[in-house]
Amino acid sequence: MILETVAFWIIGAYTLAAAYFVVSARNLFRCAVGLAAVLIGIAGLYLIMDAQFLSAVQVAVYVGGVVVLVVFAVLMVEDVTQKEFLRSPLSRCILAAVVAEVLLAIVCGALLSQGFGSARPEPAAAHVDAIGRALLSTGPGGFVLPFEVISLVLVAAPVGAVTVAGRPADVDKDEKED
Amino acid sequence: MRPGLEHFLIFSAMLFCFGLYGLLTRRNLVAMLLCVELVLNAAALNFVAFHRFLFRGDPAGAVFPILIIAVAAAEAAVALAIVIALFRHRRNLDVRAANTLKG
Repeated sequence: MILETVAFWIIGAYTLAAAYFVVSARNLFRCAVGLAAVLIGIAGLYLIMDAQFLSAVQVAVYVGGVVVLVVFAVLMVEDVTQKEFLRSPLSRCILAAVVAEVLLAIVCGALLSQGFGSARPEPAAAHVDAIGRALLSTGPGGFVLPFEVISLVLVAAPVGAVTVAGRPADVDKDEKED
Repeated sequence: MRPGLEHFLIFSAMLFCFGLYGLLTRRNLVAMLLCVELVLNAAALNFVAFHRFLFRGDPAGAVFPILIIAVAAAEAAVALAIVIALFRHRRNLDVRAANTLKG
């Protein structure tokens, strides 16, 4: 119990600090490293909530896949050693901060007025066998259709990415003329 | 105080607002993509929190974060392909410079 509490506050503070770093760092590479820190912190929160499988997926796919992809793209398009990207004017930053704060206040007010703190059932989490059965079940509460659709998306996205980022057509034409 | 549902919900609301702030202030395409990832993670965290604290471990709350992670991976692949194509044409990732559809 006490371990869970301490872990929640430490990981929560660490994750929010890393998130602030992501939105404030002036170097794209540092932003990407900050995102990796945020994602690892969220994987820790999943562990606190007994979602071990999700935590593993988060680390393997997000940190190991998406962040590595972002880092590769950053290294391809920017000179990360010295170039800092343009910042927005201060007035825009203040406006954005006010918008975010107001939204946070509204959401927190709405959440706290729901009374989630009282009369809740004993916490329980789905284990990996329940998740697997739900993903492949065709009955009520089954997710086989989203599962198939997401597999189509995962095939279409790399094909589209290669089409968009592949070599431009005029390069091929030039080579044939040579 | 032992962390309950509202702790996780408020935490994810704060994460969401960080992502929103970044989306509104950043002008670099890759940095904006990273802020979108923050927002997506806040949503996934909400699913897991509700699934654990309010719905007695209903597997739906654990399946949706997996779908969110898959969609985020596909989105990152396509967005970074667009970034590379854009950089090839313009040598610049400022979103305000990319306000036309001409190649």
